[in-house]
Amino acid sequence: MSNNKKYWTSLEEFNNRESFQEAVSQEFAPANNGLNAFADEKLSKANTGRRDFLKFMGFSVAAATLAACEAPVVKSIPYVVKPEDITPGIANFYATTYYDGVDYANLLVKTREGRPIFIKGNKSHGWGHGAVNARINGSVLEIYDEERVKGARKAGADISWEALDKEMSAVLATAKNIRVISNTIISSTTQKAIAAFAGVHAGKVKHVQYDAVSYNGLTTAHSEAFGKAVVPQYHFDKAKVIVSVGADFLGSWLTSNVFAADYAAGRRPEAGSMSKHYQFETTMSLTGSNADVRVAIKPSQEGKVITALYAALSGSKANVEGVDAAVISKLASELKAANGASIVVAGSNDANIQRVVVAINKMLGNYGATLNMTQHLNLFAGNDAEVAALVAEMNSGAVDVLIVHGCNPNYNLSHLNFAGAMAKVKTTVATSLYADETAAKCTYHAPDHHQLESWDDLSAVAGRIDLVQPTISPMYATRAAGENYLAWSGNNMSYYDYLRLNFNGAYTPAMMDADTNWYTAVHNGTFAAQTVVEDPTAVAGAAPVVAAAAPVASSSMDVSGAVSSINSARSGAWEMSLYTAVNMGLGNHANNPILQETPDPISKVTWDNYVAMAPADMKEMGFNLYIGEQEDSNLVKVKANGQEIVLPAVAIPGQKRGTVSIALGYGRGSNNEAIGKAAYQVDGDGEYLMENDMRTPIGKNAFIFVNKGNYSSFDVTIESMNATYPMASTQLHSTVMGRDSVVKETTLAAYLKEKSAEKGKATWNTSPTLPVHADVNGDGSINAQDRVPVREMDLWADHPVENVGHRWGMTIDLSSCIGCGACITACHTENNVPVVGKTEVKRHRDMHWMRIDRYFSSDFATLEETKENKGLGTIAAYGDMEIPTENPQTVHMPMMCQHCNHAPCETVCPVAATTHSNEGLNNMAYNRCIGTRYCANNCPYKVRRFNWFNYVTNDRFGKFNPSQDETMRMVLNPDVTVRTRGVMEKCSMCQQRIQAGKIDAKKRGEVVADGAIVTACAEACPTHAIVFGDLNDTNSENTGRSKNNRSYHALEEVGIQPNIYYMTKVRNIETEA
Amino acid sequence: MTGFSKSIFRLLTGAVLLVTMSAQQASASIHDGGDAANGEKLFKANCASCHKITEEVLAAPGLKGIDQRWAGKDALLIKWIQNPQAAAGTGDAYVKGLVDKYVSQFGWMAAQAVDEAEIKDIMAYVKSGGGAGGADAGAAAAAADKCPKIEDQIMEEYGDSKDSSTLIWLIIIGVILAIIGASAANIAKSLKQAVHERDGLAPVEDRTYWQNAKSWMWKHRAYVGVAGVILVMYFAVIGYGKLNRIGINQGYMPEQPIWFSHNIHACQNEIDCQYCHSSAAKSKHAGIPSVNVCMNCHKGIKKGTISGDKEISKIYAAIGFDPATGQYIENFQQQPIQWNKVHNLPDHVNFNHSLHVTGAKLDCKQCHGPVQTYSVGRLAPIEEINAQEDVTGLIKLSKPTLTMGWCIECHNKANIDLKSSDYYVEMHKRFESSATGKRTLKEIMEDGEVTVKEMGGWECGKCHY
Repeated sequence: MSNNKKYWTSLEEFNNRESFQEAVSQEFAPANNGLNAFADEKLSKANTGRRDFLKFMGFSVAAATLAACEAPVVKSIPYVVKPEDITPGIANFYATTYYDGVDYANLLVKTREGRPIFIKGNKSHGWGHGAVNARINGSVLEIYDEERVKGARKAGADISWEALDKEMSAVLATAKNIRVISNTIISSTTQKAIAAFAGVHAGKVKHVQYDAVSYNGLTTAHSEAFGKAVVPQYHFDKAKVIVSVGADFLGSWLTSNVFAADYAAGRRPEAGSMSKHYQFETTMSLTGSNADVRVAIKPSQEGKVITALYAALSGSKANVEGVDAAVISKLASELKAANGASIVVAGSNDANIQRVVVAINKMLGNYGATLNMTQHLNLFAGNDAEVAALVAEMNSGAVDVLIVHGCNPNYNLSHLNFAGAMAKVKTTVATSLYADETAAKCTYHAPDHHQLESWDDLSAVAGRIDLVQPTISPMYATRAAGENYLAWSGNNMSYYDYLRLNFNGAYTPAMMDADTNWYTAVHNGTFAAQTVVEDPTAVAGAAPVVAAAAPVASSSMDVSGAVSSINSARSGAWEMSLYTAVNMGLGNHANNPILQETPDPISKVTWDNYVAMAPADMKEMGFNLYIGEQEDSNLVKVKANGQEIVLPAVAIPGQKRGTVSIALGYGRGSNNEAIGKAAYQVDGDGEYLMENDMRTPIGKNAFIFVNKGNYSSFDVTIESMNATYPMASTQLHSTVMGRDSVVKETTLAAYLKEKSAEKGKATWNTSPTLPVHADVNGDGSINAQDRVPVREMDLWADHPVENVGHRWGMTIDLSSCIGCGACITACHTENNVPVVGKTEVKRHRDMHWMRIDRYFSSDFATLEETKENKGLGTIAAYGDMEIPTENPQTVHMPMMCQHCNHAPCETVCPVAATTHSNEGLNNMAYNRCIGTRYCANNCPYKVRRFNWFNYVTNDRFGKFNPSQDETMRMVLNPDVTVRTRGVMEKCSMCQQRIQAGKIDAKKRGEVVADGAIVTACAEACPTHAIVFGDLNDTNSENTGRSKNNRSYHALEEVGIQPNIYYMTKVRNIETEA
Repeated sequence: MTGFSKSIFRLLTGAVLLVTMSAQQASASIHDGGDAANGEKLFKANCASCHKITEEVLAAPGLKGIDQRWAGKDALLIKWIQNPQAAAGTGDAYVKGLVDKYVSQFGWMAAQAVDEAEIKDIMAYVKSGGGAGGADAGAAAAAADKCPKIEDQIMEEYGDSKDSSTLIWLIIIGVILAIIGASAANIAKSLKQAVHERDGLAPVEDRTYWQNAKSWMWKHRAYVGVAGVILVMYFAVIGYGKLNRIGINQGYMPEQPIWFSHNIHACQNEIDCQYCHSSAAKSKHAGIPSVNVCMNCHKGIKKGTISGDKEISKIYAAIGFDPATGQYIENFQQQPIQWNKVHNLPDHVNFNHSLHVTGAKLDCKQCHGPVQTYSVGRLAPIEEINAQEDVTGLIKLSKPTLTMGWCIECHNKANIDLKSSDYYVEMHKRFESSATGKRTLKEIMEDGEVTVKEMGGWECGKCHY
């Protein structure tokens, strides 16, 4: 059975509009493709004649020649006293931990000459394989943001820390009600400090925790069922059947980075079995795009699917409108068969839904197997009721002092009008790094260190303490947020000393009082779990200081009540779901241009949030479905719960009809707060887009729609604004043009049937052949059956790379790749990839060395069949492939330079700037390149990027390109050239790392060990989809994978022999396709 | 101190030592019977940066007469060397005296990883006063000979402007001649005019110099043509040559904030290159020593032989050290020394020192030339590099230093022994594992050797990324 699907990258291609045909027929996107708001008027009005141009050029050449004669004097400035552990030119790595209230990961931070420049996961000692995501590894840039607050402030003016402490002490002494609001605090030292503070100001202090996206429903259900208001630890690797109802657990739900690693570990086809993943959701999420079975539902149906499943498992029947009853009953039987090896999760924050989910998991015997309540998460302990009570208390004017600890409630509690309540508090203190929405309105600002400058101890999972250690001295006069409580309760100790005291005291004293243990713990970034006492609440020195009444252990969870209340929910004509964008998170990274430019995994939109709508709905409303091409997007107004937002509408295949979805985390800095230069919209000339003398935020804040802890709304209205807005998306200008050799996929059953087939022979991965004019098969006649494998046909002379020296290559398992984009951000920071901004992205001039191509597919006849059956031409046949786009399947395919051994780019370069190395790499010598772009023309994968501008000096990139910022440019990797205008660049397979690894081996006189050299993308990949290695090393993992019968080359029939292999995607679905 | 007076001093001390030695009774102490030759090696590796074997105090007491001062305390001396703090803890009065006198000024000596036998060898070397007196003096004199005189160097480096001055004189003479010629022509014209007036002929046609020159050139057009062709060819050749010199900076010697003499440090005092440029063996950068490295010696050496305290005081000003009290100044705002970079590679060139120093085991002089004869650093011209006689296995190259031609010329000449390390053994094995590999190896081995180029040393991606 061959794969007869058609893949399409965009609706333009799918519907094959005229504009699209025109666009794809051109090698490069036209210069001005309807960029009305961005058109460069100055350029078009320029009237430099050809002769003038030649004169200028002649002068420039002469001037440049003269200037080149005298080399400028370069300074070389050594340390005065060199730190012992720094050798210039050699990187140091420090183990630390990332926690921003949303994401959590154990890290190794690479520093050069004392500056953190790259973040990767701590694979040896990290929790959950040290998996990181794009948000975490892209965050390294943020430490250098110039708009960070550089010292203590009062009402926006600088004051000294001594003055702040003095004034605060006076204020606290007279205050009656002191309140602390924070995200979930998992640092036992900070908890202790707050407890000590509460002790000094006895009876006045109350600490309230909230999470930017609340999981209160989940913890409430567990509190009722198990007596502990916590989130269990999920083990997706152990589950055979995974059911998610609206939980984007690979992209943003709970500790999604760790889940991604576990999920992929449970889905390796070679193991013979794969987990089966059902996803019920509204918009196409990252998780949904990876699901084996995806069912589009309305937000109001989430609970109904859960109750129907509960009923089916209990033996009765319940139908959900619009959902195939067969799916539910089949799912129920599969869950039962899995026998304690399944996971059912729901993304809703509705306690009723979570109660039923807990009941289902209990019924299936998942607790103790795939769900761990002993080593539960300490994260996400926020309490919605307490937050609501706090806001009420503040509104009543009873709160005298409010300490806002490292969070931004004015932004992400905007649905509670926290800002309004805060105005009624006499004295407010913020500890955030920026004068953000909350801090800008506070009386005092006591800025915290950045995560990479801090000491801390964090316990994300019960029974495990991870350490945060500084990778750089604090850049500004900031102070650990925990130290405030010490200073304000008369304790002069530094936070570090307090942490050490806690470490030597509270944690197992017998083991931990010795310095060696401390140093080992700092080195590893964690300390051995077995030395930690069993009960995590004891470790953490008790849960939040003044918590709600202790949860009572009970099994009196009212499931039937929950079911009936869910089933009574009604819905309107339109429904809305709010989701967390995979690239941007919950707004913490709004000032991070690398993350802003990282495309959304599904829509591939950058620098904006939008209203996701079903294509059919948009068509009905007469909206433009085709962003990134000639037209701008239509603006729509979404109204719900008395709030409204105007955003552009974007068609997302797979979106449930009658629903809209909006990403949270955008619209930061709506009052022009100093939250970072890159957090605001910039026009084509690099100037801020101003509205009422204020900078325009990127996107709109959707937190205003949150209603009583619910991130969905069942009754919204939509209206067209009769206005348009330009959107920038990265993947719409390239197409597979119906070739079936780019993406290969099969089903598990089909795979298992031919599991041991020879490579290239299995039906799901046939190597292409070419007919030749010779009797190859020996049947006595020359006909179409005489074919030879493509690899035997050759135009080029052999590059002797096989079995000679090294041959660097990569294997990318499409089965494991979930499309999260961690590789893109890792590549970005490792290789100094320029940020080009929205205008340039819209012109398809994004500079990403690697991208993730997202292909939708639907089952339908092949192109030939369509042509034959309907008597259509090729172009018309594409147009005819009008197959329901309601719920397509998705493939994520990382694409970067394939390092072809017979590279088409090399043969057309007139100046030999791109050449083939004897190690199988396609090298790029920037200083040879004269910018003809022939190579990009000739590249079948379209992975070469041209530097249209000098991104380092050109003003139009000044607001967001990190290399244009005095401090931010410190993040640049000194081992990689910063490219200049007019040269081609592309993936170098992290040449600098290869060289470093080889040099290290040569110096020691040893062979290069497998795994000693890893590219940034392979290092960042949480799912082990990307593996790099020496293909000439017969024992390397990469060699093994490249010989696996699932591996193939993209566009193999072209015969250019890439060194990058892809592995056929295997879906765990029934063999009907 | 000049080389000459130093050698006299050494001669005298040697003689004194000989007298004292002969007067002493031989005993089984640690100061007797060691291997002075081995001791010399150990001393130079471990002790010489702080101790002298004379009475002079460098960054620690001079060791001359140590056998008498520590007589009968062998065990304590060993302890003192291996773990000074522990020895001080014994409460010995002499040790206490040493601690009071020196530790406050120079800090504790680092514990030395030497065993008793090695200490014995070192003591033998110390006692020998640096070998037999006469021989040492001779060696010192020889060392002084091979090192250029610093006074000459100062003249040579800072009094050198001959080329440009000649050119300026030539231009001045040329201008004067041109003026004289023009005036002479004018006078001739006036005279002719006068003659014409007297003879009543038509007045001389008033022609410009240029018209005159044109008619003259037309008259002698054959000669002018040939000369023109020769001139054009000459300038073309010169121009081509000049253009080819763009980016060639051989001999580049920028002024430095401190007149640092490699001659004094590396030649006369024989300090190893990598003592200061220590990261050359570990990192891509050779590194310029930080001020604290300077202070290892200059805490004790406060005056230079030539510049007195003028140059050395700049180090103190950077790090905040008071030479009078011998103490660091507390809370001093330290200022780094801004050296001017001598070896400038473009940003897109990635050269790795450690691979060449540790991996290829090249002598620093292979690329940097006879730096020990220079004062402040400069880019050694290729001729100077090739002229060195004291570099074993020197690869002589023709291209100017620090050009890409120079790099790849060396990569084409330098050999790799495929048996030299496990890395190359593995590479060799891979060659032999397939037909293509064998064929490639055969091509490589045609001339009987494997050059760096043949192992990929000419690949763009080796240096440019």
